[in-house]
Amino acid sequence: MTDDGIKKEKSTSDKNGMFKKIFRFLKGMPFSFILLAVIAAACVLGSVIPQGQTLSYYMETYGARKGNLIAAFSLDRVFSCWWFIALAALLCFNLILCSISRIKGVINAWKRTKSFGIWGSWVTHLGLLLLIVSFALSQYTSKEEELYGIPGSKQALGRTGLQVEIDSFDVLLRDDFTVEQYVAGLTVHNGSASLSGEASVNHPFKAFGYRFYQNSMGWANYVDIYKGGELVKTDLICAGEYTFPDDFPSLVIMFNKFYPDFREAEDGSFYTETPLLKDPRSLYGIFYNGGLMSIDIVKPGELITVHDYTFVLRDPVQYTLIVGKTDPYAWTVGLAAAVLLAGLVLSFYVRPYEERKRKENGKD
Amino acid sequence: MAKIENITFMAALAAYLVSAALYFVYIAVKNGKVSKAAYTVMFAGFVSHSVCIAVRGILAHRLPLTNQYEFATAFAWGITLCFLIFVKKFKFDALGAFVAPVIFLVIGYASMQSKEIHNLMPALQSNWLGFHVSMAIIGYGAFGVAFGVAMAFLLKDKVHGKIAETIPDEKTLDLIIYRSVALGFLFLTLCMVTGAIWANNAWGSYWSWDPKETWSLITWIIYAVFLHLRVRKGMTGKKAALFAALGFVCVIFTYIGVNTLLSGLHSYK
Repeated sequence: MTDDGIKKEKSTSDKNGMFKKIFRFLKGMPFSFILLAVIAAACVLGSVIPQGQTLSYYMETYGARKGNLIAAFSLDRVFSCWWFIALAALLCFNLILCSISRIKGVINAWKRTKSFGIWGSWVTHLGLLLLIVSFALSQYTSKEEELYGIPGSKQALGRTGLQVEIDSFDVLLRDDFTVEQYVAGLTVHNGSASLSGEASVNHPFKAFGYRFYQNSMGWANYVDIYKGGELVKTDLICAGEYTFPDDFPSLVIMFNKFYPDFREAEDGSFYTETPLLKDPRSLYGIFYNGGLMSIDIVKPGELITVHDYTFVLRDPVQYTLIVGKTDPYAWTVGLAAAVLLAGLVLSFYVRPYEERKRKENGKD
Repeated sequence: MAKIENITFMAALAAYLVSAALYFVYIAVKNGKVSKAAYTVMFAGFVSHSVCIAVRGILAHRLPLTNQYEFATAFAWGITLCFLIFVKKFKFDALGAFVAPVIFLVIGYASMQSKEIHNLMPALQSNWLGFHVSMAIIGYGAFGVAFGVAMAFLLKDKVHGKIAETIPDEKTLDLIIYRSVALGFLFLTLCMVTGAIWANNAWGSYWSWDPKETWSLITWIIYAVFLHLRVRKGMTGKKAALFAALGFVCVIFTYIGVNTLLSGLHSYK
């Protein structure tokens, strides 16, 4: 063989050796530990740093330097940022390589011992892999839409093609006024058929492949807008929402907060004595060109006059927030969790590690 | 009934304290009668504790597992249950000297919490609550025992004479740490799975990266690494003991730190 030939072969064998080393590292436990350590560290950051806030929030809370770091490394949305997903993907890759490389040994050991416990560790790893993949699949394929409305209203559920009618909404109170349950009566139409039922917390209503969750509630007010004594607009707005005269949009009334059983404390703050509609008040703000003109509290039907316009907040009513969700692959997450648990039981209790070791060492 | 709850709670608290003291005496004098007495007192405390939890359940008309006090007392109960089983299974009497103080500290923490019975908010009115929290109690209990044994392991070198004689050999200690972590890990996994099913029923999302969920995952990762190192790399000795202790620190933070320092779905703030 010529010198060039020897060099070429040496270079190919070096390359193969390097690839083998990389492959060994990628399927190995040290790589798993590095990934798990970084994932755990990311989890710590994600739990300590409030997630999903605005950049200005982080700037104000942590200062400009830390705020910029948080934004640069996506620490404001750790669990959905690219590097966290990449870590999970690498962990999957590591689990796949590890499982493939171990399967032969596991099968041989099983042939030798016929003990299902031999499969424990392998099944546990498979379960974890399935869990991460099915979670990602479920996140990717699930659809979620929400709507809110008062009894009697009918709305489309996003772009699902379903119409949701809110037949009723009740807040069931105990004697001490704590909430026992929130119950929404719903009728869901899919164009050709309708299904009716109740959605309450922990008991979603299932219709046309969707689960409807009773998610939240609040108070809404009807707002009448008069101009020169003539009714020009009626709107229904929930707490936190606003409306305006169509011919004068720079004048805005915002409904801030509702007190069904109003009381004023000694320090001047407002609170509600009970959740019952006994002595209601609404806190509102008037804005002109984006600037706050006034803020006050009114009884239902009380007139609020600004220039030529009069606003009336009336007939407060409770609204419900309904979330419709379809998750066609949720069952895969359940299956993966079952595989993981089965793997753990096999690992620890079908033929525990110590016994295995003892038998392998021929001490039994 | 409330009086019975208070009396049985205080009796349990006192019994755990006395038992811890007796276990300390035992490791000093190595007298079998003392360890028997300590175990009996611990068992009596456990019975009283069980009655206390049952009475609270009757008073509250629900499973008493929903607030800081109720979970703390159930947590102490879980450690005691695991301790009583492990001490018999491994015939390791001195274990009480290391676990009984942990039990006393946890129930002591419970005694500082408000015992007021509150009605459950709608999200907590689910049959999954019982499964989810029960799994956590047994899992945390087993980790508590692992922590106690880890402490015994770490102190073994530093003590001599009768104290050292009451502590089993390192191999046995190591085995108990492994067994209790394995049990805890299985139940922690079950706790997370049942919690996910429940969350999916209540909110339509089985995992929301709520701080409690996130810290449970961190705890799960720590113990998963421990088990890997123990089973695959043969990690034993001080390293394993330190790892088990670190895991329990994480358990305590998941339980107390997350509920009090971080806000989320499990927050009591």
